[in-house]
Amino acid sequence: MSSSDASAHGGGHGDAHGGNPHLAHHFDSMATQNHASRLGMWLFLGTEVLLFAGLFLGYSVYRHFYHEAFRAASHHLSLTLGTINTVVLITSSFTVAMAYYSVKKGNSKAAAGLLTFTILCAVAFLCIKGVEYNEKFQEGALPGKWFHFHEMQGYPGANMFYTVYFLTTGLHAFHVIVGMAVLIWVLRRTIRGDFDKNYYIPVELGGLYWHLVDLVWIFLFPLLYLI
Amino acid sequence: MADHKDKHEDEAHEHGPGRYVVIWMALLVFTITTVVTGHMDLGAANLPLAMVIATVKATLVVLFFMHLWDAEGINRLVFGVAIVFVMVLLLGVFGDLLTRMPEALPTGQPAHTLEGGDMPSSHGMPAHRPHGE
Repeated sequence: MSSSDASAHGGGHGDAHGGNPHLAHHFDSMATQNHASRLGMWLFLGTEVLLFAGLFLGYSVYRHFYHEAFRAASHHLSLTLGTINTVVLITSSFTVAMAYYSVKKGNSKAAAGLLTFTILCAVAFLCIKGVEYNEKFQEGALPGKWFHFHEMQGYPGANMFYTVYFLTTGLHAFHVIVGMAVLIWVLRRTIRGDFDKNYYIPVELGGLYWHLVDLVWIFLFPLLYLI
Repeated sequence: MADHKDKHEDEAHEHGPGRYVVIWMALLVFTITTVVTGHMDLGAANLPLAMVIATVKATLVVLFFMHLWDAEGINRLVFGVAIVFVMVLLLGVFGDLLTRMPEALPTGQPAHTLEGGDMPSSHGMPAHRPHGE
């Protein structure tokens, strides 16, 4: 018995578990493997939260020092574009959650459609962000020493608002790009038919990453646009 | 044993798409609310209100879109610990800033008296006060 076990383990990942190619041989069952994957993802998300927390702290300290400048500088951001982007991200979060649900129900076609829509939302978000950035570039509302926004010259500390603005939204935009790449990979595998109700963890974890992008924006939006 | 676990996991996630639609709608409503109240002049209440709304939105996303509501407890612990350390960071730094003597602030004045144009420096970095001012 023990020798047959050993040969099964030696034979590769799939053989040890009745031919399930998705189950690594060091896990008892898919459930255990899913628990481990999910926990790993949440640990990573925890570090992401701490990464952004540093920037939020910087924002809070400078806003505390330069309250009026932050308020005035914030009014130069486009609230309309910011609100549209919030709706875009929230909707994409919803569709990626629905994609996960569809995959678990065995409906890969619907999941592929929903993932495609989510990726298009990410593209739309980045385009709108690009329009906003371009506007700031034109005005000279740039971070640090490149700051030459004449309307804000009377407000010391206004350049710190734009520095924090570009750092936070820039890092966030980078996360949008990474999230998009992950979702494209998930979409490709969904179309290929890799996922079903027994194996869906990449859709779930890719979705979790995308929700984190949404989560960060939920705090960035009121702090940058609504003060 | 393994079968039992699988079953349990499936049951934990057993809910219709309706739940996602409701959360999505709630998030949109909260977004509109925060934009509308952000426009109103509520004085000191503006920031806390915006933060409360953002926190409620984030909580909905984490619990229902990210399934922390019915995830294994260890995931909740991991995420909760991250949030606790964010709080430690904020409380520690603001505990320092808010209890300093005004002269000890990098801006050299009590922060609440800062107005646009009053600052000696125009480049926004904490100003170096001339000695003996």
